[in-house]
Amino acid sequence: MPQYSSQSDDELLLRLRNGDEQAFTALYRRRQGAIYRFALHMSGSSAAAEDIVQEAFLALLREECGFDPKRGTLSGYLFGIARKLVLRNLERGRSNVPLEAETDEAAPRELAVIDDPLAGLTRHEAIEALRRAVQALPRRYREVVVLCDLEEMDYADAAVVLGCPIGTVRSRMHRARALLLEKLHQDRKPRLAVDAWKPVRYAI
Amino acid sequence: MNCQEFWDYLPQRGHDITEAQTAHLAECATCAAQWAPHRALAAGLHSMGEEWRQTEAPSRVETGLMAAFRSQTSYRVQRSFARSWWTPVVAWASVAAATVALAVVLVRGYRPAPASPGTVAAPHRKVLPVAVTASVEDDDASALGEGFVRLPNAPRIEPNEDYNVVRVEVPGSAMIEAGISLGEDRAAETVLADVALAADGTPRAVRLVPDGGTY
Repeated sequence: MPQYSSQSDDELLLRLRNGDEQAFTALYRRRQGAIYRFALHMSGSSAAAEDIVQEAFLALLREECGFDPKRGTLSGYLFGIARKLVLRNLERGRSNVPLEAETDEAAPRELAVIDDPLAGLTRHEAIEALRRAVQALPRRYREVVVLCDLEEMDYADAAVVLGCPIGTVRSRMHRARALLLEKLHQDRKPRLAVDAWKPVRYAI
Repeated sequence: MNCQEFWDYLPQRGHDITEAQTAHLAECATCAAQWAPHRALAAGLHSMGEEWRQTEAPSRVETGLMAAFRSQTSYRVQRSFARSWWTPVVAWASVAAATVALAVVLVRGYRPAPASPGTVAAPHRKVLPVAVTASVEDDDASALGEGFVRLPNAPRIEPNEDYNVVRVEVPGSAMIEAGISLGEDRAAETVLADVALAADGTPRAVRLVPDGGTY
């Protein structure tokens, strides 16, 4: 499917609307991971996350799916649908299963190579503590952390997905980080959780 | 840069601060102390994001979606095909057949008589309704009779499913489009064809009627 990798989401959408199955496959494979992870972080249930991914992509197949390229990206549209489904799911109270109780399929894989087993263990524990802290955040703060920090979405795109001004995204993010720090300190392992990493500079 | 500006203009990637902000941290011990855990947290979230990036939806989700896509596409193609040249042909053929049946009943005073196919002039096309109702024993379109070809994306006529065959005049180009081999020189001509219609009126298969007009 190499010829599809260079095509934009909008081009793939046009093709799939004309019955091109490979275009649909390419678009799905390009976008499913982020949608699934978002749904998983938000719902805490891999079964719910699977349903949400399926529903979000099924929406693309409907003739009146409501996607307007002038209003945002296709990725943002998919996140928007996933978010609505997550909210519906949370309202129904289906997502009361903690991630720990899910199957191994839902759990992130270990890092491929860890030179120092102790350092690797510390990193793993620290990530687990962070994951728990993110999971404990109120929904409005959790979604900005998942979108902007974990999925590295721009504030502007996140604002479109969340349907709020960019300033609100900034302020929620600021508050979310403060809550995360507080939570990590409450867990009595602040040094393990927070000080396990050396800062990384991006080469952007 | 003052303290307020430092915190207000933090870049999205919290650990990637500007030179001006770095300079502020060098001057302000309070901000520097508060910044240290934020920086570690940002780095931690980055690591967590990287690790989670390998997590994807199980393959069964893709399998289910592809099945839904094929089903939807097949439905759309069939519907658009049904909306094309077959639709008016079938509609006019049905109207003509009903008119002939009514006329025969009225003229013969409701006396039953053996049916005989005849030529009926439809407003735009000549139609030869051969009101045949049959029960299919095989699920392949060829079981309908010799020479039938299933229309693209049309579902098979199931065993024991009722269908009707209507004889119509159609453009040769339409037959070529339906997958029936016809010389390109005949694409512009009109040819006789038998169309097998399902009980709901959708065309399922078609066959070319030889020049002699019999099968």
